[in-house]
Amino acid sequence: MKKLDKRLWGLIKSTKGQFFAIAVVVAVGLMIFVSMGSAEINLQSALNDYYKLTNFSDLYVQVVKIPEKEIPVIGAKYNFSAAEGRVVSEVPMITDDENERVTVRVTSLSEEDKINSLYYIEGSPIKDKHHDVVMIQQFAEARGIRTRDEIRLQINGRQYKMTVKGIAASAEYIYLIESAQNMLPNESKFGVVYVSEEFAQKSFGFSGSANEITIKLNENQDSEIIEELIEDDFEDFGLKRIITKENQLSNRMISEELTQLKNMSSSIPILFLSIAGIVLIMMVSRMVKKDRISIGVLKALGYSSSQIIIHYVKYALSAGAVGVLLGTLFGTAVAGAMTKMYIDFFNLPLLRINVYPQYIIWSVAFAGIFCGISGVWGAKGILKIMPAESMRPEAPKTGKRILLERFRFFWHRLSFSWKLIIKNSFRNKKRMTFVLFGVALTCSLMVATISLVSSTLGLFDKHFTEFQKMDYNINFSTPLNEEVVKEIPHIIKTEHIEPKIEFPFELSNGLRKEVVNVIGIKKDTGFYSFTGLNGESIEVSGKGILLSENLANFLKIEKGGTIKIHSFIPERDDVYLTVENIIKQGLGMNAYMELTAMGDNLMENQLISGVYVDSRDPDLMKKLIKADHISTIQSSQDMLNVFQEFMGLTIMSIGFIVVMSGILGFSIVYNATVISIGEREMEFSSMRVLGFSKNQIFGIILRENMVITLFGILMGIPMGRYLGTAMGNMFSNEIYTLGITADIKSYILACGFTLLFIILSQLATYRKINKLNFLQALKNRVS
Amino acid sequence: MEPFFIKAENISKYYQMGEVSVKALEDASFELLEGEFAVILGPSGSGKSTLLNIIGGMDVPTSGRAFLRDEEITGFSEKKLTEYRRNKVGFVFQFYNIMANLTARENIELAVEICKNPLDIDKIMESVGLLERKDHFPSQLSGGEQQRVAIARAIAKNPEILLCDEPTGALDYTTGVSILSLLRQVNKDFGITVAVITHNSAIAEMADKVIKMRSGRIVDIRTNEQPMDPERIEW
Ligand SMILES: Nc1ncnc2c1ncn2[C@@H]1O[C@H](COP(=O)(O)OP(=O)(O)OP(=O)(O)O)[C@@H](O)[C@H]1O
Ligand SMILES: [Mg+2]
Repeated sequence: MKKLDKRLWGLIKSTKGQFFAIAVVVAVGLMIFVSMGSAEINLQSALNDYYKLTNFSDLYVQVVKIPEKEIPVIGAKYNFSAAEGRVVSEVPMITDDENERVTVRVTSLSEEDKINSLYYIEGSPIKDKHHDVVMIQQFAEARGIRTRDEIRLQINGRQYKMTVKGIAASAEYIYLIESAQNMLPNESKFGVVYVSEEFAQKSFGFSGSANEITIKLNENQDSEIIEELIEDDFEDFGLKRIITKENQLSNRMISEELTQLKNMSSSIPILFLSIAGIVLIMMVSRMVKKDRISIGVLKALGYSSSQIIIHYVKYALSAGAVGVLLGTLFGTAVAGAMTKMYIDFFNLPLLRINVYPQYIIWSVAFAGIFCGISGVWGAKGILKIMPAESMRPEAPKTGKRILLERFRFFWHRLSFSWKLIIKNSFRNKKRMTFVLFGVALTCSLMVATISLVSSTLGLFDKHFTEFQKMDYNINFSTPLNEEVVKEIPHIIKTEHIEPKIEFPFELSNGLRKEVVNVIGIKKDTGFYSFTGLNGESIEVSGKGILLSENLANFLKIEKGGTIKIHSFIPERDDVYLTVENIIKQGLGMNAYMELTAMGDNLMENQLISGVYVDSRDPDLMKKLIKADHISTIQSSQDMLNVFQEFMGLTIMSIGFIVVMSGILGFSIVYNATVISIGEREMEFSSMRVLGFSKNQIFGIILRENMVITLFGILMGIPMGRYLGTAMGNMFSNEIYTLGITADIKSYILACGFTLLFIILSQLATYRKINKLNFLQALKNRVS
Repeated sequence: MEPFFIKAENISKYYQMGEVSVKALEDASFELLEGEFAVILGPSGSGKSTLLNIIGGMDVPTSGRAFLRDEEITGFSEKKLTEYRRNKVGFVFQFYNIMANLTARENIELAVEICKNPLDIDKIMESVGLLERKDHFPSQLSGGEQQRVAIARAIAKNPEILLCDEPTGALDYTTGVSILSLLRQVNKDFGITVAVITHNSAIAEMADKVIKMRSGRIVDIRTNEQPMDPERIEW
């Protein structure tokens, strides 16, 4: 076998371009496998440990007010592992910049400290119950706040000076965002501050009471069943909302990331390895055909079929081995970079970059299996080669008319060279199909990624410039009379102001229910423009309720249906309303009503909960902070800015997928072309003798492949749209609805990238034409 | 003296095989006149193909020069060589080298497509006796018929010289004769200069000029005053 192994080395050297192209596809697949897989384990294990360490809560029950002594009663009734009450409320933090609006969620720490314990980074727990606070790490870092620094909180119209005693991370805020509507963290504008129970109860007027209960279940309790059961127990205390661990904002964001990693690390590598396998089958079977005589001779010399098959399988395995080497090397590096990115993105103190050797073993196994099987498959033709027969020339190939030639009218109008090109494209149907699908796959991956991302980019812009157009969304701390709309313009300069009611309700249709903010707006509002599912424009009429598309889908209700609206205000009866229409909304999940209709039907009085304002007043924030009754001010511009910062990361990941898909397309088309050139050596040599130049021959191959590429791209666009829609559905949630864009630019870009990679692969094959020794080829009968 | 049409001047071709240098062709010189039918004879490995390939612009000599009229073929650039093959030379090989997925007619079209003043394809097909078979694929044709397609393909380009490397090598006796007759007929009808390599010295009878080779050298050049009709040769 020594000599055969030497021959193997020669084989690799003479096919180095193809060999490397296959190795790279294997490498990319394994790189994704290793990097995403390792990142997933890093993240998952750090998360599990962290949740365990801090005793992360299973249920959050938000109520209007509950006496503390009631909590252990309910806890005992269900035999919970633990149940704690706390006071949670959002208040402004006063900063030196008077135009800055900073919100902190003041949260009381229970004395027992059994659930959601803090993970101290710096400083110590609260000592002075009336002046000490512990601040969440991300917020402290974003604002440059250290321990012993002083902060000012505005609570119920009073200013409190507090000292930062400690800085801590919390399992509840691994991903720190204010609400689902924000989608992205804005760490310098929103933070969490922990205070003593005493301070919270006193300053918020909650003595002996709480407004949120955290519950740690027993091991054999199911959160969804408990959620149903305890509703009645908390009903009397003004139950607002029960949030399960699965729905907890920060946990859900990480879980989504983990699911995505899991899906990607299991599906993409298989795709890449399968493609590498198919290319290997094509290559090896072509090599066997070419080596027919040598194989016959080897057999005549006494080598067994399996010995010869192993020789070719070794070739396939070598390609896999190079792929494993590159893939695990880069994969480990990328895993580190990805975990590093998660460390920046998520505040998970236990997250470390670990290397998992088992991924290297799995990579070797996967590559071995895929490449080994492909090698055997490709080389199985060896079994059929009979020593004596192999030395006789192969039976001539038969020519056939292709289907297209039946369309005489069309066929006769083609120039001869186009006839030739089309005929040749159809000559090897298997390979043509493979290249076609390869191009289509590449193109569809690009279309899906680019159109999905461009629609996501458009989503924010559209939401804040077309769907809702107010500059500021201001919420009052208590409902006020509509008359304030006339007063606010005395405080700040406004271009336009409208009252609003925004309040959470539980909407249900049969068994499906969801808590969302119902928003009441003026009939002739200038701040919202609603469009229906068919693009028609829609207004609130006062007759019913409008639902956002994702909400309607979630509740499985259609236009004209009746929906039950359950209020969290104690002692209010459920209200039934007709779904007047379903509207498109990219960001968030909401329901809309006409302002007075909402006041009449859902609220107890004609009070408003806030206003929308258009204003160019540079001192707006400064002026409003001083004003009474204002709880939060959201600036659309701020939210857009945060998003813009986030875009860099997004663009990087599209780049990554585009390059990966490009490599795939390149490898497929390059290999198929090189194999085809090898098979047609005789043909091209004859053409050279007839006086065709190298460029003319290259032109023929190029045009053949371009015909296939064109069809591939045509197939790839709808495939990409389908894939993009599926991916969009997978990534959509109640916060945002992702879809693919209809913007023609993304499609042009995607097709352009596909074409670029295909053309590059063609240029790489030019060398083969250039090297074609036509005298040599013509001497041999068998090519 | 008549002006030459093809001229080879002291052509040598060496192949370097590691340490040793193989002399495929040494100091070969000869001339062909316009419209001549020449036969190159010689044992295997004597350099016949090498000589023909150099004249046909498919190979370049180590030293020496070849001319077509007053143009030096051996001085051509790669691009000029391609043009030369395209417009002036027709090649016929032992193995027909026609494309399996093209019909007889399409195979000819392939050649005609790129050259300047091709002949009428149907007329050519008629003269090689293939008009009825023009829409057949090579696999539906006999060896002799395939070689006719190759000849038709070569002459349809309207070349000035037709070079044939053992065109009857793969054919049986009678078919071989018919192919040679065809070549002779083409030579007469179209006035194309023809050079044919063969192992069969009987063919020499029908040629205007016979070039004999041995061990890379031209050992004899003989002119036949009265070439015989191929049909009458005793093979
Ligand atoms: N590419 C090559 N490399 C090395 N030697 C070569 C090469 N091509 C031809 N030769 C050698 O040159 C010599 C002449 O070869 P050529 O093909 O011209 O012979 P030929 O007369 O056509 O023989 P045949 O009748 O068998 O076709 C031979 O000895 C051959 O081995
Ligand atoms: Mg020869």
